[in-house]
Amino acid sequence: MDDKLKAALDFSNYMITLDNQKRVLKEQYQNNLIHYFGGGRFTATQGLVSFVQSLLQLEQTSTVLVDDNDIPIAVEDLQKFASDLVSVYFEATNTYMTEYNKLKVNRSVEGIFND
Amino acid sequence: MTKGVLVIARNNSKIDYVKQANWLAKRISKYLNLPTSIITDNAAYVNKHYPNTFDQVIEIPNEENYTHKSYKDGMYARTNLEFKNTARCDVYELTPYNETLLMDTDVAISNNTLANCFDENNDVMLYKDAVELSNWRDLSEFEYISPNSIDFYWATVVFFRKSPVAKILFDCVKHVQQNWQHYRNLYQITNPVFRNDFAFSIAVHIMNGNKKGNFIKQLPGTLYYITDRDLLIEETDGVFKFLVEKKDSTGYFPVKITGENVHIINKFSLGRYIDEQS
Repeated sequence: MDDKLKAALDFSNYMITLDNQKRVLKEQYQNNLIHYFGGGRFTATQGLVSFVQSLLQLEQTSTVLVDDNDIPIAVEDLQKFASDLVSVYFEATNTYMTEYNKLKVNRSVEGIFND
Repeated sequence: MTKGVLVIARNNSKIDYVKQANWLAKRISKYLNLPTSIITDNAAYVNKHYPNTFDQVIEIPNEENYTHKSYKDGMYARTNLEFKNTARCDVYELTPYNETLLMDTDVAISNNTLANCFDENNDVMLYKDAVELSNWRDLSEFEYISPNSIDFYWATVVFFRKSPVAKILFDCVKHVQQNWQHYRNLYQITNPVFRNDFAFSIAVHIMNGNKKGNFIKQLPGTLYYITDRDLLIEETDGVFKFLVEKKDSTGYFPVKITGENVHIINKFSLGRYIDEQS
């Protein structure tokens, strides 16, 4: 096979693999953002993190939050819930960045697969 | 309140589902810290080869009216084999647990996310959405049970708590199974082979009042899957490496996934992998 064509095909294989791994990482990130609490599940979105912080600023100590399945869940210790939620958010986001950066520097299919 | 995992393993002439169940039970113990019981039509085989794996071995009669279906092994091989899948609707009565996580034997558990279902208030949970690893396939068959039809639910993993609602669901699945030809026609399912995914989907639809509804909540976490046209290459400490069919079917491309639960639909590939480990 012509070297130029082979290089193009190798690159296309690399792009297919890279794009797919990026998609998998994003799925994992969404999954890692979920905080299981009180029989409910909450995605630690920036919106929920901010809302909970706002409640704390309003000196609320407990509240009721509607979870991802539209079920109302009582949060008795709002301070701890907020702290756990922020931890989940940072852990998921940092993991996403770490794994994404590892992926970015690999310039071959073998590198992505074996790293 | 007892809780555990239940698997159904009924070998056919080529696929050793009991071997897969043994492999899965070890992963369940490692990642979910739960006991696993097995429903099988050959308890003697289980007790002989895997005497210490299972919490309980529940024997059911050998299935006489089984169907056949095509099993693929990657892009280039396929074979027609016996397909014994009619016991799932009886699980409500057969389970030894108050809270049961029912699983196919080809689900590779690699994290503890599913343990959260025992803390949730929902008496029945299924996956409606699962993530396929190729990123190019037409997945409409996993969105609706037939074109212009109802939502598809996976029967691959089912959580249920002994409760009136769960009992009604399993009874309804049994009813659909017993009247399969009728429901097949009603929901315009072209494939004559009975599938539990379809029976559960139809039962959920009926229990939602014959409309879209939210009676069923999704199981925690994400279920990933490869099809039987893809291959499992290796796994180490929850890092799975697969070869997935390319869009133009000219070969495979690699996919790696870490710490996730993966439904490995290619039974032959999974069987080879398990053999290599033992």
